[in-house]
Order: sequence, then structure tokens, then C-alpha cells
Amino acid sequence: MKEEVVDVTKDEATLPAPRDAAADGPGEPLLVVEQLVKHFPVKGGFPIRRTIGAVQAVDGIDLTVRVGESFGLVGESGCGKSTTGRLITRLLEPTGGKISYRGQDITHASRKQLAPIRSEIQMIFQDPYSSLNPRQTVGKIISGPMEINGIQPSGGREERVRELLEIVGLNPEHYNRFPHEFSGGQRQRIGVARALALEPKLIVADEPVSALDVSIQAQVVNLLQKVQKELGIAFLFIAHDLAVVRHFSHRVAVMYLGKIIEVGDRDSIYTRPRHPYTHALLSAVPEVNLDGTDEAQRERIRLAGDVPSPISPPSGCRFRTRCWKAQDKCATQEPPLVQISGNRPGHLTACHFPEEPTVEAREEDIVLDPALAALEDTQPKTGGAGD
Amino acid sequence: MTSPLETEGGGTPLVVDDEKEPAREPDTAQLEGRSPGRLMWIRFKRDRTGVISAYVVGLFFLIGLLAPLISKLYGKSPYTVYADERPELFDSAGVPVQPNGGMSGEFWFGLEPGNGYDVFTKLIYGIRTSLMISLVVTLAVVLTGILLGVSAGYLGGRADFAIGRLIDFLLAIPSQLFFIASMPVVVSLFVSPRDETPTYVRVVALILVQWVLGWMSLGRILRGTTLALREREFIEAARVSGASPWRIIRREILPNVVTPLLVQATYLLPGFVTIEAGLSYLGVGIVEPTPDWGQMFSKASTELVLQNDITYMFFPGVSMILFVVAFNLLGDSVRDAFDPKTAR
Ligand SMILES: Nc1ncnc2c1ncn2[C@@H]1O[C@H](COP(=O)(O)OP(=O)(O)OP(=O)(O)O)[C@@H](O)[C@H]1O
Ligand code: SF4
Ligand SMILES: [Mg+2]
Repeated sequence: MKEEVVDVTKDEATLPAPRDAAADGPGEPLLVVEQLVKHFPVKGGFPIRRTIGAVQAVDGIDLTVRVGESFGLVGESGCGKSTTGRLITRLLEPTGGKISYRGQDITHASRKQLAPIRSEIQMIFQDPYSSLNPRQTVGKIISGPMEINGIQPSGGREERVRELLEIVGLNPEHYNRFPHEFSGGQRQRIGVARALALEPKLIVADEPVSALDVSIQAQVVNLLQKVQKELGIAFLFIAHDLAVVRHFSHRVAVMYLGKIIEVGDRDSIYTRPRHPYTHALLSAVPEVNLDGTDEAQRERIRLAGDVPSPISPPSGCRFRTRCWKAQDKCATQEPPLVQISGNRPGHLTACHFPEEPTVEAREEDIVLDPALAALEDTQPKTGGAGD
Repeated sequence: MTSPLETEGGGTPLVVDDEKEPAREPDTAQLEGRSPGRLMWIRFKRDRTGVISAYVVGLFFLIGLLAPLISKLYGKSPYTVYADERPELFDSAGVPVQPNGGMSGEFWFGLEPGNGYDVFTKLIYGIRTSLMISLVVTLAVVLTGILLGVSAGYLGGRADFAIGRLIDFLLAIPSQLFFIASMPVVVSLFVSPRDETPTYVRVVALILVQWVLGWMSLGRILRGTTLALREREFIEAARVSGASPWRIIRREILPNVVTPLLVQATYLLPGFVTIEAGLSYLGVGIVEPTPDWGQMFSKASTELVLQNDITYMFFPGVSMILFVVAFNLLGDSVRDAFDPKTAR
């Protein structure tokens, strides 16, 4: 299925050529995450402080990132994306589950045990203002990882840093400058250069562009894409909406409240989503269709309320408090993440009553937000005051 | 005090984003980056009060450092008992006969009633003693503050809890009373009460008691700064690359706590000078014949001096006020230079 849809991340000059389905084929697994769990204890109580609960930030997720593949992880704020990224880079200690990298179990590996693969898994951070040490020059920042891992490139570290600066589109002469002398977009490029310094096999990019101006977002995404393609680095690209990862990812997983609720190749997720939440996220993506179909022909779904607290998530299906198809079964049984009939292989959905695999406009918009519904009283609608 | 971190992270980019605006400032020839420290220095130099205070403070340190040289050129020693050497200058009570405490071309600041020490040399040596002690205390306090504050902030958990309670405990002790009460105790640890106490023992004891109760405020501030820093993503970036905790503290955290450290240290030092002076004034610090700034006040308040020679107080008093005021103004300027957003 060829796609002709252009989204906000499009750059005027270079629209990346659509990838073909071959990329969706199974490659060798690089990173395998099984039933990964992270609970943050909640302390409280009087007079003795004790653990009174847990933030179930990540609650049993499975995912596989293959060699050279870019994998998008999408979900609303607070659903545990960053926690997942930090677990994979082992900045956080998992509460349960298993992380293996190239078949090696790194779930609870210590810093020393991780040393050999540290250089292979790198991270790009969300906030370009806090991810660079204000007291170090760009040269020091980028050569830091090489120093730590005792890597001595043939031409010397400084030469390599200049080369990296060039790769990420910065002036190599800026070697001796300090982070405060750069703009947000440039800083993020420095962060990319630092991640590339160790020639990693996998980069976890935690919302690398969401702190940037929209106009600059596209350029940074393009840079990441170029790097991903030319250097064959696998990416776990975290984003809070589906627009940003659209051109970037071979496969996409959608997270909700610590769980993956739908995962599949890009086409399946964008054009044949089954989970109601994926439908809702997709309908929130602003886009212009080139083939003549306009906004009106896409379905319109407006969710009500906020994401429930991860301290006491809803029973059964976690999305049920905001779902327009919820039934009794949803409250009692947790839907397993399985391949629903009609889905392509590898396209898994966790829903008891999946939606039709299309994003065409429905007869009636789904507007669950009471305020929004009242505003649009004249227009036909379903739902109403949701839950 | 707002956290200086905000400034360092923020700050207007000097280089205009060439992605957005190709038209750049013409000064791009300068490719050497200006470090946050350099920028601070540039801001500091523009602050006239700060610069003048810095010169005044510097002068005091110079005087202290060069005291032996100055007194050699001046031709006198602070230990010479002029009441014995030149009895004609004193009356029967030991008060200088000449007006203004015996000020003259020979004895610039006059003579001390009683033993007849030369006030000028005594003062510069006194400054030397006081500054030396305060400097050592400040150094010890800074090192302790870094060690305990930064580890509490970085390690968190139990270490943080233990250090936090220690700080609370020490802060609850009334420091003035503690100083006065503990000085003789500390001194007696070194020498038996019957022997003559050597000066160095008193110096060490002064340093110890001030150090023990002096580091907590700095420790707290550094703990807070480190705690804030630990959350920052560049620390995580270092960890992702496999940096050891030691390297993270040394390379990522310490350079970023230099700012609050310098600001605090410039406030702490004059504080220690006054505490040391206070203790010597109260008689538990440095005693005669060792020249000491604070001990000169104690001398000035004795009945003999107070009733016969009020000018004796003038030079130690004015010089100390000048020193403390200049140092505090310097502290303000240093803070402003680091943190231009805070209005005074
Ligand atoms: N160190 C922590 N201690 C306690 N709770 C935490 C911690 N880190 C994250 N959480 C909680 O875990 C949940 C998931 O957080 P996470 O940062 O992974 O979300 P996210 O999907 O990255 O959101 P965002 O889009 O806002 O970055 C949140 O409810 C958050 O409050
Ligand atoms: S399982 Fe039920 S509540 Fe959950 S998404 Fe599917 S229909 Fe909605
Ligand atoms: Mg996040």
C-alpha cells in the first residue's frame, strides 16, 4: 500500500521516499522486551511513612525492535513511554519482566556488566536545555562518551567530533562553544551527535522533537531519519502523537496507561487500526490528504476526560472509562494483546470489541466530551456524556 | 536565593539559529566559545561596587600576606614591649603620654596602653592571624559541604537521610554558646590545663569549633543544587554512556555547583572573621601576646584602655568594618554576576 499522505513533519525540500513493505519483514531481533514492569512506590501515611501504593508506570509490556528498524512508541502524556525508554537504557531498575539485547539478558545487569553494550544503546533526550551540561564545550560533550568507553578513533577524538558535528548539520568550528550559545534545534543536534559518538546499534529517542518549534521539528526528524537509514541504526522513537512517527517508523506501538494496546506495522496502524484508542489518536492527527479526500472524510473522535491515575488503573480494559464501546466484559476481563482476525501478521490489538479496520468517516462523529458535544449540538453525534 | 541553575540552562543564545534565520550577526569570526564562567566574569567587571569591593578585600589579604615584610620596612615588631624599651613614652599607669594614644611619625597608629605594643604592626599581624584562621575554616567548610552536601544529594536514600539529620542536629545547637563552651574543652584535649597553652593549639581549636558548626548551611545548599542537577538529563546521558558515579560527580555535578559554592563562600568568610574576632574578644580565642584582630577589641575594652585611650579602638574597628562590608558587597556582586535575574 503506497501512501500519499503528507503530514506536519514534512520538510519542503526532501520528502523521504515511502518505504516499501520489505522493511516490514522480519529482521533479526535486536532488543526483546518481555512483560516489562515498573512500579514506583508511593510513600505516605501518618505517623509512620510507608509504601501505600504504586504508580504502575509500565505494567507488563512486550516489544521487539529488530536490527536497523525504527519502532515508534506512541501514547498520551503519563502513559509510561519515558519510563519504558529509561528501563531499556537501564537508567531505571525494572520491577519485573525481562529485557534482552541480542539475546543477552540485561534486565538487572550492573554498570560493569553493561559496559560492553553501553556503547550500543544510546539515548536522545526530550529537553535540549537540560540534556547538555552547561559547563562543558560542545567538543567535551560529544567526546565524553568516547572518553568513558576508552574509544580512540583513528584520527583522534577531536577529529571524530568535528566529523559528527558535520553529520548532524552543525559547523565543526563550533567545537569550542558552549551549549548556551546554541538554539534549541542546534542543541538537539548536539544531543544526536553525542548519541552517535559511540556508533550505537540502537537509539532510544524520547520525544526528541516535542520541545522544539514546529518548523524545526521537521528538520530534526529528517536528520534522525537520515542517520537511521545511512547508518542502519535501530530506533525506539517515543512520541506523544501519531503524526511525528508517521514517516519515521516501520512499526508502531500505541501505549495506554502502562500497557501496549495495539502494535503493528505502520500501514496497519495508520490505515487499519482496530483499537478504539488508536482510532481516537489517529483522528487527532492533523493532516492534509493529497488524494483529494479532506478532513470531512476521516472519522472524527473526541475523547472525554483525562487519563485515569496509574496508581489505581481501571479494572479489566484500562481504556474502558473513556471507551464508547465499553461493555460489562471490559470491566471484568483484561483483553489480551492478540492478532484479531483480519489483521496482518504482527498486528496485535488488545480489545474485546475491536473497531472496523478503516479510518473513513463514520455516519456519526464520536464526541464524548460533554462541553464539545453541547457546542456541536446542532450536528449529529453519538455518545454523550461518556462514562 | 534562586537557583543559579536556571541561568546557566537558559540565557539567550548568542548564536542565532541558522536554521531559522540565515542572517547572522557579523561577529561570527569569534569561534571560541564563551563559557558561563567567562560570561560571569564579564558581568562582574561591569559592576563597579563589586570591583571596588574586590580591590578592598584584596588589599586586606595583601596586607595579611605581606605583614612581615611591611613591618620590616616599618622597622618594628608586634612583640616589642615598648613600655620596657622606651619607658619615657608612657606615664606611670602605662598609658602613652602623647595625645591620641601616642600617635606620631614613629608610631603611626599609636601605642597600646599597658605593654606598649606598636598598634600598626599589631593590627597588620592581627589581620594576618584572623584571615589565616578564617581562610582555613572556609576551606574546611567548603570541602565538608561539598563532600556531605553533594553525596547526600547525589546518593539520596539513606545517606541523604543520615546527613540531613546530622545537619538538623547541628543547626539546633546554639552556636555562640557552643563556641564559648567548647573552646576550653577542645583546648584541654591537646594540653593539660596546668601547662601553658601554645598558640597553635588555640588556633587549631578555633578552626575546629567553627568548622564543626559552620558547614551546614553550605551543605544544605549544595545538597539542594545536586538534587536538582541529578534530575537533569545530561546526568542521565552520562549514565547511559556508562560513566561511573565518581566521574559524574566530578565532571558533571561539581562544575555546576561552583556557582553557589563561590557565592556562599564569599558570604561565609567574613562571617568567620567576625566569629573569630568575637571569640578572641570574649577571651576564648587568641590571647596576648599573639596579635589578633578580635583580641585587639578585647584589649580595647579593658578598663585601662577604655578610660585612657579611646583612640586605640579606632584602627581595628574601622578596618574590620571596612573589611566585612566590602566582603559582603563583593558577595552580592558575585551572586548578581552569576545570577543576573535575581534583583537585590
Ligand atoms: N521517578 C518516578 N517516581 C514516581 N513516579 C514516576 C517516576 N517517573 C515517572 N513516574 C510516573 O509514572 C507515570 C509514567 O511516566 P512517564 O514519564 O513514563 O510518562 P510519559 O509517557 O513519558 O509521559 P510524557 O509524555 O509526559 O513524557 C507517570 O504517572 C509519572 O508520574
Ligand atoms: S476492551 Fe472494551 S473498553 Fe477496552 S477498548 Fe475494547 S471495547 Fe473499549
Ligand atoms: Mg516522557
